[in-house]
Amino acid sequence: MERMPQFDLRRPASIAEAAALLAAEPGARLLAGGTDLLPTMRRGIERPPVLVDLGAVRDFSRIDFADAGLALGAGVTLSQLAMDGRIVHHHRAIAEAARSVAGPGHRSAATIGGNLCLDTRCVFYNQSEWWRATNHYCLKLGGDVCHVAPQGSHCHAAFCGDLAPALLVLGASIELCARRGARVIPLSDLYRDDGVAHLALEPDEVLVRVLVPARSPALVSGYRKARARGAIDFPLAGVACALVARDGVLAELKVALTGTNSRPILLAGTEALVGRGIDEATLSALGKLVQKQASPMRTTVTQSNYRRQVAAALAQRLVRELAGYEPSAARASMS
Amino acid sequence: MNDVSRATAGGPARDAPAIAQGRTAGQRTPLIDGVEKVTGRARYTADLPTGETLVGRILRSPIAHGVIRRIDTAAARSIPGVRAVITGEDFAAPYGVIPIARNEWPLARGKVRHRGEPVAAVAAIDETSAEAALAAIVLDIEPLPAYFSAAAARAADAVQLHENKAGNIEREVDQAFGDVDAGFAAADLVRERTFHYAEVAHGQIELNAAVATYEPERDRLTTQSVTQVPYYLHLTLARCLGMDSSQIRVVKPFVGGGFGHRVEPLNFELVTAALARAAGGTVKIELSREDGFLTHRGRPETDIRLKLGMKKSGAITAVDCEIVQRGGAYGGYGLVTILYAGALLHALYKVAAVRYHGYRVYTNTPPCGAMRGHGAVDARHAFESLLDIMAGELGLDPFAARRANLIVPPYRTLNDLQVNSYGIPDCLDWVEQASGWKTRRGKLPRGRGLGLACSHYVSGSAKPVHWSGEPHAVINLKLDFDGGITILTGAADIGQGSSTLLAQVVAEVLSVPLARIRVIAADSALTPKDNGSYSSRVSFMVGNAAIRAAQEMKRVLVTAAAKRLEVHPEDIEWNGDHCRVAGTDRTLDFAGAVDAALVDTGTLTVKGSWSTPPETQGGKFRGAAVGSTAGFSYAAQVVEVVVDEDTGAVAVERVWVAHDCGFAINPLAVEGQVQGAVWMGMGQALSEETQYHEGLPLRPNMLDYRVPTIVESPPIEVKLVESRDPLGPFGAKEASEGALHSFAPALANAICDAIGIRLTDLPASPDRVLEAIQARKRRERLRASIGVSAQPDPERH
Amino acid sequence: MTKRLLALTVNGRMREDAVAANLLLLDYLRGTAGLTGTKQGCDGGECGACTVLIDGQPRLACITLAAACEGRVVETIESLAIEGRMSRLQQAFHEKLGTQCGFCTPGMIMAAEALLRRNPRPTDADIREALSGNLCRCTGYVKIIESVQAAAGG
Ligand SMILES: Cc1cc2nc3c(=O)[nH]c(=O)nc-3n(C[C@H](O)[C@H](O)[C@H](O)COP(=O)(O)OP(=O)(O)OC[C@H]3O[C@@H](n4cnc5c(N)ncnc54)[C@H](O)[C@@H]3O)c2cc1C
Ligand code: SF4
Ligand code: FES
Ligand code: FES
Repeated sequence: MERMPQFDLRRPASIAEAAALLAAEPGARLLAGGTDLLPTMRRGIERPPVLVDLGAVRDFSRIDFADAGLALGAGVTLSQLAMDGRIVHHHRAIAEAARSVAGPGHRSAATIGGNLCLDTRCVFYNQSEWWRATNHYCLKLGGDVCHVAPQGSHCHAAFCGDLAPALLVLGASIELCARRGARVIPLSDLYRDDGVAHLALEPDEVLVRVLVPARSPALVSGYRKARARGAIDFPLAGVACALVARDGVLAELKVALTGTNSRPILLAGTEALVGRGIDEATLSALGKLVQKQASPMRTTVTQSNYRRQVAAALAQRLVRELAGYEPSAARASMS
Repeated sequence: MNDVSRATAGGPARDAPAIAQGRTAGQRTPLIDGVEKVTGRARYTADLPTGETLVGRILRSPIAHGVIRRIDTAAARSIPGVRAVITGEDFAAPYGVIPIARNEWPLARGKVRHRGEPVAAVAAIDETSAEAALAAIVLDIEPLPAYFSAAAARAADAVQLHENKAGNIEREVDQAFGDVDAGFAAADLVRERTFHYAEVAHGQIELNAAVATYEPERDRLTTQSVTQVPYYLHLTLARCLGMDSSQIRVVKPFVGGGFGHRVEPLNFELVTAALARAAGGTVKIELSREDGFLTHRGRPETDIRLKLGMKKSGAITAVDCEIVQRGGAYGGYGLVTILYAGALLHALYKVAAVRYHGYRVYTNTPPCGAMRGHGAVDARHAFESLLDIMAGELGLDPFAARRANLIVPPYRTLNDLQVNSYGIPDCLDWVEQASGWKTRRGKLPRGRGLGLACSHYVSGSAKPVHWSGEPHAVINLKLDFDGGITILTGAADIGQGSSTLLAQVVAEVLSVPLARIRVIAADSALTPKDNGSYSSRVSFMVGNAAIRAAQEMKRVLVTAAAKRLEVHPEDIEWNGDHCRVAGTDRTLDFAGAVDAALVDTGTLTVKGSWSTPPETQGGKFRGAAVGSTAGFSYAAQVVEVVVDEDTGAVAVERVWVAHDCGFAINPLAVEGQVQGAVWMGMGQALSEETQYHEGLPLRPNMLDYRVPTIVESPPIEVKLVESRDPLGPFGAKEASEGALHSFAPALANAICDAIGIRLTDLPASPDRVLEAIQARKRRERLRASIGVSAQPDPERH
Repeated sequence: MTKRLLALTVNGRMREDAVAANLLLLDYLRGTAGLTGTKQGCDGGECGACTVLIDGQPRLACITLAAACEGRVVETIESLAIEGRMSRLQQAFHEKLGTQCGFCTPGMIMAAEALLRRNPRPTDADIREALSGNLCRCTGYVKIIESVQAAAGG
């Protein structure tokens, strides 16, 4: 068994202190629930000299409902999210996504911040030190080729966090805090399409809060996830959707994907489906959009083509379910 | 001479009491070591207190195939805190569980043959120095061409992995029984199909670990390990370390499952011992999950071509089968695996003629070995799938197709296997009724289906791997002044409940409560030799030995009681707690009987042993011993699935399984074993597979090696069929492997019933299922575009 | 490497130990505290064998730093039997054969314990959800579910 690398552990009591520590210690990393970082460190993938444990930070795990919307502290755990009745009721996609992550033992530690800032994953990367050395490492860490696409110079490791798409379809933004000050950006701006450096975070920035704007009560949302087993597994593809349907017509539609690209993506082109009836043609157009923008590569043990197809199938199914559309009934009414 | 230690004769236990429902045997009995397990007090190898202990670490080859030019350990040796550095040169001999296939060194010597093969090892005072030492070892290995598939290794110009194995064929089997050509000629329908099975692994939850202590003053070694086969480990330690076996003690602590992974001595066990000797102290090695996948010994990747001939009645007229297994880098149990595949292929049914051609191939991947359902699982899937396909074409119900081929015991199969009891008819009846087959099959909504399959398995191999002429099983019983009965057995309980079963058997024969019995298992200094926990041999063979030992102890006690009561032994009514002179009210309690028995002799020890009768040991042809057994278990199961045609996801809704275990000595444990077996079959059928990238395992962890979670695991309803085998202890037979085999084919048959698609590759992972669904859509579109009217796939019936 | 003083409660007892920053809770429990009931079955976070309770929540000791448990209440399988009497869950796992080899059992029982404290009358679905991160290779889970049901009902 590999040993945990050595590091210094700091336990700041405030975000400002945490940011200051990050700024002062090059290479320092934040530790929230540790359910991603510690397995990664146990495999020798990460060897930060300093870990800044957010576990003692005050007021970091609050859930606030206000007129303007929902504010979630970055330290809120996924089990808190999954079990909060208001979230289940008003922002179902968030609760469904949180509930689908790993297992209960992870979720009671795992935080929103850690889930949104999750490293990208690849079957050639999430392996032991011996394994990666034997395989001559890769672009993402220590090597100079990508085993997934050896001709290219780009890393295709996939972002696999479940929460991001749910928050994207709800138009969330995030509050970041650095030593020099705070900023609020749309969640989609946190991500870049680069498997090595997929987070647009400054080295000393801490994700502090997630802000979900208040929406029309008619907006319904959900999250569906394809995986080989009923629990534990990361998404082979995950799809979140938020929509408003009036009289069988789409009045609003947002769809986001995870597990397929190096960043979670808010599907472009769904506006074109707004105003259309929820029928087979619309669903098929949606499927095409997904198939086109999802670009899974051979980063998992499951075929990439499957991940693309299942993403489309789940998106179609979710829209149908959220809109209360029954294909056979609709067909009958059409004829 | 007194009768302190008296052996009973070795023949079949036909005299074993046939009991309907015993006081103890036949009762649902919690495990006698269950309290330790649920309280956390059970100590597994990694939990053992070991005093001052060195940390052992293994260096593994990064090269898949190559010649070792040099292993430079000088720098490693000079690192402070390092107490021993060893290589293959430090061992006296190679090993291998099959005496004629000992071609593996605990640390590679001369050549490396797979990535991850151990090449050197260190012992040091702590992990830091041990790891520094590993990093300081310099390997100079000259690469050779490497082969990761059976086909590549069999290519004409392929370099040989092992000198004496041309074409990289470890074992070729070519067998024919009956007139195969005439059989096909007589058939009304002949069909041939090919099948492909991914490699799978055991995935026992306990990680591998071993602790060894060497006492230089006495040249003595004590090894504790996660093994299923303490005796084979003992022999192999003596061999590889060049030690006298009397100087070695092997102790098995609690073991967290095995499923075949630990059914042969493993390199890390030998390395730990060699390090302990080199360092002159205690060394502990704890391996990672990844190491477990590199050690492997799983079920090989397999290709099968199967051809069957069938009459309109469903009767099978001929079987022709070719099986190729990618065996990995070393022999292990390989030749037994390829023989099992053929031996058990057809012996489930009455079949007129069989041809079997098997190839076990050496490749540069981690060595395969025995895994629960050894050798026969993939072949069963192929056979039961093709049976369903052909039954469909002939318009026969799947039950009818099986019923057309039933055996009537006693029966000798074509390949000379002896069938003395055969519960398949009852198994079929029960699953048919319980699953509502007659009313539901064919009337379920699209996407939902039912499938049936049957299977069987041995209750221990009738010829052990190390044939020494000794009995197959020996049990010692000890009874002393305290009135406690101690069972001394070499049988390794690895969670299957064998210690509980032995206690039940002894309690039953002696009519004493279980509480009076203790089991001491698997410590070579205390317990009689036992071949180990594999091929489901323990209940049958050790159970029979335990009956005999208990009968002997009872005889001694009755004789002593008779003497004390001054009557003839025949006048004694033995009732455990006390005995009585028949027809009187003169009694003697158990303590009194014990006192009487100890007079003059002191501590009582008796022995019971058992051997398989010669008629069960198989025929005379080469390889005939494999598959031979004193009693076959049987199973039938119906699986109900729902297939999601959009995502390819297959959900197993329910399983009904009937298992003929002869007699359930512990129905609670038998149910648990059957459920576990069915479920493990489900893992292989649905989601489990290994995969390699140039010989490097791509899924060496519990995230990508997808052992099913509780969420997708179905209710499994078990019916125990009790056919009372004439040779089994109280009629009992195997209970933990037979039901595994029929899950995968029942699933495939159910998927076909649900969506009309026949899967010939396992596992039926969502990507494979979706691909098959889309391939059909493409075929239908093609047919439509060229004007052929779209017909339903011929598979659906 | 410098060690820090860790103060926490383990199985009802206050402890203070000097621990290295990189010490995992699993190794702290098994090594420092000598509580070997908590098991390790994977290389980090994949099997649930190491499940313990931290402040009543199920947590994986193999991916938790000991030092991060400062001031917390940790409970392991060894804490459940009170005055030598097995807890209902332990009794049920024993009697219903919710354990075979026993290696997943401590983690399984602790995950079930967290469930029953929160939800004393769980449905089949609740039980599956609560144990979804705990792999068992022996039982097929059928008798594990029965054990938890028995403990809840009895
Ligand atoms: C077996 C297994 C299965 C898993 N399955 C899933 C799954 O299905 N879906 C899924 O989404 N995840 C899964 N995970 C990953 C992980 O458990 C979750 O993503 C979890 O939410 C991560 O949160 P955490 O608080 O534990 O993060 P940590 O491990 O503490 O941190 C993760 C990363 O985020 C950074 N970080 C943490 N907090 C902040 C912050 N406030 N600001 C900036 N950076 C921060 C850390 O520095 C680190 O780089 C799985 C993990 C395991 C071991
Ligand atoms: S996608 Fe390529 S570069 Fe990125 S982690 Fe995988 S192998 Fe490495
Ligand atoms: S040991 Fe496997 S999850 Fe902790
Ligand atoms: S009882 Fe063996 S792993 Fe669960």
